[in-house]
Amino acid sequence: MSDSTGTAADDRLEVGAERPPRPYVESPIIMATVRIVAPFVFSLGAFVMFHGADSAGGGFQGGVIVGTVVLLIAIAFGIGPTREWISSSLLTLLVVFGVLLFAGIGLTALVFGGAFLQYEVIPVYEATKYGIELVEVGIGIIVSGTVVGLFFALAAGYRDPDGTEGER
Amino acid sequence: MIAALADRAYFVAAFLLLGVGAYMLIGDRNLVKKVIGMNVFQSGIFLFLVASAFVTGASAPLLTEPAPYVSPLPHVLILTAIVVGVSLTAVALGLIVRIYEEYGTLRADLVEEVGDGE
Amino acid sequence: MTPVEAVLLVFVLATAVATAVLRDVLAVIIAFAAYSLGIAVVWLLLRAPDVGLTEAAVGAGVTTLLFLLTIAKTVRPPSDELFVDVNLPALGVSGLLVAALATTLTALPEIGSSSTPVATSRVTNYYLDNAYAETGVENAVTAVLAGYRGFDTLGEAVVVFAALIGLLVVLDREVLA
Repeated sequence: MSDSTGTAADDRLEVGAERPPRPYVESPIIMATVRIVAPFVFSLGAFVMFHGADSAGGGFQGGVIVGTVVLLIAIAFGIGPTREWISSSLLTLLVVFGVLLFAGIGLTALVFGGAFLQYEVIPVYEATKYGIELVEVGIGIIVSGTVVGLFFALAAGYRDPDGTEGER
Repeated sequence: MIAALADRAYFVAAFLLLGVGAYMLIGDRNLVKKVIGMNVFQSGIFLFLVASAFVTGASAPLLTEPAPYVSPLPHVLILTAIVVGVSLTAVALGLIVRIYEEYGTLRADLVEEVGDGE
Repeated sequence: MTPVEAVLLVFVLATAVATAVLRDVLAVIIAFAAYSLGIAVVWLLLRAPDVGLTEAAVGAGVTTLLFLLTIAKTVRPPSDELFVDVNLPALGVSGLLVAALATTLTALPEIGSSSTPVATSRVTNYYLDNAYAETGVENAVTAVLAGYRGFDTLGEAVVVFAALIGLLVVLDREVLA
């Protein structure tokens, strides 16, 4: 997994067998563009995620947009370095935290004597509105983590039985 | 007849997309193209549902806009279905990667032959 | 049906047919990305901006990348011809499907009519009338998604989560990244 200095001769995404991992593209245009665009796309994704209550948007939409930022970076700077930058445990923690946040809000309503996800029993100002917003954030975390996780899992490929990993 | 078709153009388009998707699922031998066909089929269903929610001259279901609104319920269903769809596509592609490792081909007919030979 | 809508529908159908008839898998993936972009604009025209946002990010972005990764991991069959040979039995079956669906066409309501069962439905109008008063959320889609149908959405989120676990199982891996 960590051995991203590839072994395969047909390794097209990371050139060089012995050298440290470096971006696979020669074109500086893609890298410069991604460097400029990525923060804006991330901001857009966060805006769409947090502003879902008052305009078009929400957890699913914003989460996918935030996830694509990582995919952009991975495509421009190489999948191996990006995989090391975003550690596996961080990604796992994020996705699990999202699910627990969603379920936890539902259970909090149970604690205050309501039904599952019945926000209005929680004694907070505008509980329903903020409950929905928090749930949307939870969805966004799940979706963005999942999109990134699916990408990296598919990029890593099937683990061969003889132990050589098809690392690309 | 023509006027009736023009009034229901989105439904006609949805049916044609279902046809194209079904053709790719059944007729194409390449497994990746079968998955793409599945995606086309699925968006045909989405088009049918979203088109049925549309009302001419209505605004999007943002309550700050002036009434009337289109129905928000199909939008909610499609929204989640798209994200679930991409997850399932990823699982299907994972299966394809695995099939390629095992059989060395992506052609459905050759996979069957290799499977029979064993 | 405005001219913009007509052109867009023709574009969507043309790209869909292109995905079916092109032989090269890379060309099919590119045609599918164009198809997704076209259908994202269709969602906007049908006043579904939430769906359009998702489709643009998922269909034209994430799905295309996943397909590209797959052919990078497996094989892109070399092709001398531009188009696939038509598979007549499959064409017959899908033609039958379209014909069977088309028989329902006259029974369906006109698109955009304000008297369709969806527009006059009690459920639709309950959401539109009460969403703001009951939830304080101005986007009715969000109100239904996380408020009225929150339990449903929890299920959807868990399905997405389970798909991630399923992919790890299929690929025989233990870590995500």
